[in-house]
Amino acid sequence: MIPSRLGRWTDSGGLALGVLGVGNIGRVHLQSALAMDGVDAAAAADPVRANRDWADRAGVRTYDDYATLLASEDLDAAVVALPPFLHADAVERAAEAGVDVFVEKPLARSTAEADRLLETAASAGIAVGVDHTLRYQPDVRGVKREYDEGRVGHVPYATMTRVNDGHLGRPPAEDAPSSWPLDAEAAGGGALLELGVHCLDVLEWLFGDLEVVGATVDGTLALPVEDAATVLLWGPETGTTITFHCGTYQWEELPEVNTRLRLEGVAGTITAADHRPSNFYANAAASALSNVASRVTGDEPDVFGPTYYLQAHYEALSAFCAAIRAGDRPPVDGEDGRRALELVETAYERADEAGKGGVDVPEVRP
Amino acid sequence: MSGPDYTVRAVAVAEPDRGPWEPDVDDRADRIEPAVDALLDGTLPETSPGDRVTLVPDAHYPFHPSSGFVTDPAVVAAVAAVVERRSGAAVAVAGASDDLVSVDRTAASLGYRSALDRVDATLVDLSGEPSTPVPGPAGGSEPTRDGPTPSVPERLLETAVIVVPTLRPTVAGPVAGGMRTLASLTDGAVEPPVAAVASTRAVDPVATVLDATTAYAGSPYAANALFAGPTAAVDAVAGSVLDRSVEDDEAVRRGLGSDEPTVAVEPVDGATDVDLDAVRAALPDGEVPPGDSMHPAVTTAYRLYAAVSGDAVPPHLEGDRP
Repeated sequence: MIPSRLGRWTDSGGLALGVLGVGNIGRVHLQSALAMDGVDAAAAADPVRANRDWADRAGVRTYDDYATLLASEDLDAAVVALPPFLHADAVERAAEAGVDVFVEKPLARSTAEADRLLETAASAGIAVGVDHTLRYQPDVRGVKREYDEGRVGHVPYATMTRVNDGHLGRPPAEDAPSSWPLDAEAAGGGALLELGVHCLDVLEWLFGDLEVVGATVDGTLALPVEDAATVLLWGPETGTTITFHCGTYQWEELPEVNTRLRLEGVAGTITAADHRPSNFYANAAASALSNVASRVTGDEPDVFGPTYYLQAHYEALSAFCAAIRAGDRPPVDGEDGRRALELVETAYERADEAGKGGVDVPEVRP
Repeated sequence: MSGPDYTVRAVAVAEPDRGPWEPDVDDRADRIEPAVDALLDGTLPETSPGDRVTLVPDAHYPFHPSSGFVTDPAVVAAVAAVVERRSGAAVAVAGASDDLVSVDRTAASLGYRSALDRVDATLVDLSGEPSTPVPGPAGGSEPTRDGPTPSVPERLLETAVIVVPTLRPTVAGPVAGGMRTLASLTDGAVEPPVAAVASTRAVDPVATVLDATTAYAGSPYAANALFAGPTAAVDAVAGSVLDRSVEDDEAVRRGLGSDEPTVAVEPVDGATDVDLDAVRAALPDGEVPPGDSMHPAVTTAYRLYAAVSGDAVPPHLEGDRP
C-alpha cells in the first residue's frame, strides 16, 4: 500500500478529483492529490494494467479508460495527464460530465486544437488549468521575486536554457525509448513543444507579452521530431532581449537538473542557481528532518520537499484545486497554455523561414 | 627472438577542421575513410564479388555517436566502402533487436540508414534469423564446466565478419570490445565470458576494427584513432588503453589463448601514427554512469520517512514492491 499522508483531511466535502493517466507524471499528480487537504483523490484511469495496479494500491478506484471514469464518477475536477493527442478528447469528455480540468502541458498540439478545446470548455462552463510547473519551482519564483522587487534594476538581457535527456535517457540503457513523445503526430512537436512551452510560459510570466524575433530547430539524432531549439525573443513591455534554448539531447543525472535562468540587470545579475540548494542531498536531509518535526508539532509538511523539483507539481495542482474550490479562475489557465503554444508555433515558423538547423519543423497542425 | 603473439594495427584519423564533431555523417565518413583504407590494407582476406561480408557495430541503443558509447555509423560506412571497393563483396550491417529497442529504430536514430546509403550495404536484424548452437570455449558441443553454450546467428557463421566495436567500458567494468559485441547478438542463458569466447571462436571474425574516433571512459574523448586486428587482441589493446588488466578480463584472457600472450601495436605505413601514451593520458578515468534505479535501501528509507512525516513518496523512490 502506498502510504497516504497522515493527518490528511478526509472530509467527504473535499474536491473530488480524478487522474486521467497514471503512467508517469500522472503518478506525481495522484500522489500530490492524496497528500492534499481538501481534495478527495477518488479515481484514476489508465489503459496499462501495471499503472492501474499502482493506482489501486494507492487506494483509488481504477478504470481502464478515462471516458468511463468521467461517466462513472461524481467528480469536481480531473487531471489530464495523457499524451497531447488525447488532451482535446479528454477535455471534451470532462466537459460532458461538467468536470473542471487541470491539463498537463502542452495544453494541445497546436493553437487550433487549443482553440477547439477551450471553446468546448467554455460552452460547458468548465474551468481549464494548465500544468506549467516551472512557475512553481522555488528557484524560478526566487528569480521573479528578485526581479519584481527591482533588485538589479532594468534588465536589458535575459537567457534561459532547459536541457535534459528527453525520451532516450543516458547509459546504461535500461528502458525502451518513449513512443508517443517521439511521434510528431501524437506529440505535436519535439523539444520546443515538450520543454520549450514551459520556459516560454515562464518568460512571459516574467517579461510580459513577447515577440519571437528568430528561431532555429535542430536534430542531434535522426529522430522524427527536433531535439534542440533556440529562440530569440523581444519583450517590449520591459525592454528585454531574451535568448532561450531547449533540448532533449543531454544526459541528465538526477538530482542535477539543467535549467538555467539568468537576468542581466544594470545593477547586477539574478540567477535561478542562487535560489537552488547548493547541495541537493543536504537539502533533502534538512527538508526531511523539518517534515518529521512538523509531524510532531502538528504543522503541515512540505510535500515532496526532499525531492525539491517535485514540490512544484504539488504546488501547481494545489493552486488549481484551491482556485476551483473558491470558484476562481485557475492561476495558470487555458489562455496561458494557449499563449505558450502560440509562441512555440511562431518559433517553428521563424525556424522554417530561417531554414537553419538539421530538421524540418513539425507539420502537425491538428 | 620470437615476435609478438598478436599484432594490432593503429592509425590516426584526421581531426575535423573545427570542433570535435562533424554533424554530417557523409563529411565524417569522407574524413575517416582514408584512415580505414590504410588500416585494412593487406589485412582483409581474399573475397570476391558474390561473397558476403557482415559488419557488426556496437549499435545497441540510440545514444549519440559523439558520446563514444556506440560505434559511429560513419566509421561503419567507411569500412563498408573500403570492403566493397576492394572486394566487390555484398556488405551487410547487422544488429539484433532486443526487449528495449528494435534495430530499425536504433539504426534510423543514429543515422545508420543515411550512412549506408552512400555505400551499397544493407541493414539486417539478426533477432529474426535462424541461429545455431556453437561449441563452448573448451571445444565440445556439450555443456562443460562453463555451462550451456550460446546460439549464434547463422549469418555470422556463414559470412566473413568484421566486428566494429567502440572504445568504451561495459556496465560490469571490462571493455565492451569485439568479443562482447559479438556475444550481444547470441542467444542462450550463457555466462558472459563463455558467450564472448564461444561466439568469437565460432564466428572467427576476419578482423575487428575498433572505433576510437570518440572513446567513452566516464565521459567522451575525441581520440581520433582506429585499431584493427584479431578480435581478442584488439580487445586487449582496448582494455590496455582504458587501463583494464587482461588478467582480470576472463573473456579476453581466454580469447588470447596462451599463458602470457604478447600483443604489439604497430603503426601503418604511410599513415599517421597513434600516440597511445597520449591517448591513455587524455582519456578520463571513469565508468558507465550509475543506473537510474534507486538502491533498495534508499527506497525503503524514503518510505519510512514518508510514513513518519506524512509526506508523499515520489514514484521514482517507491522501489519494487508487490
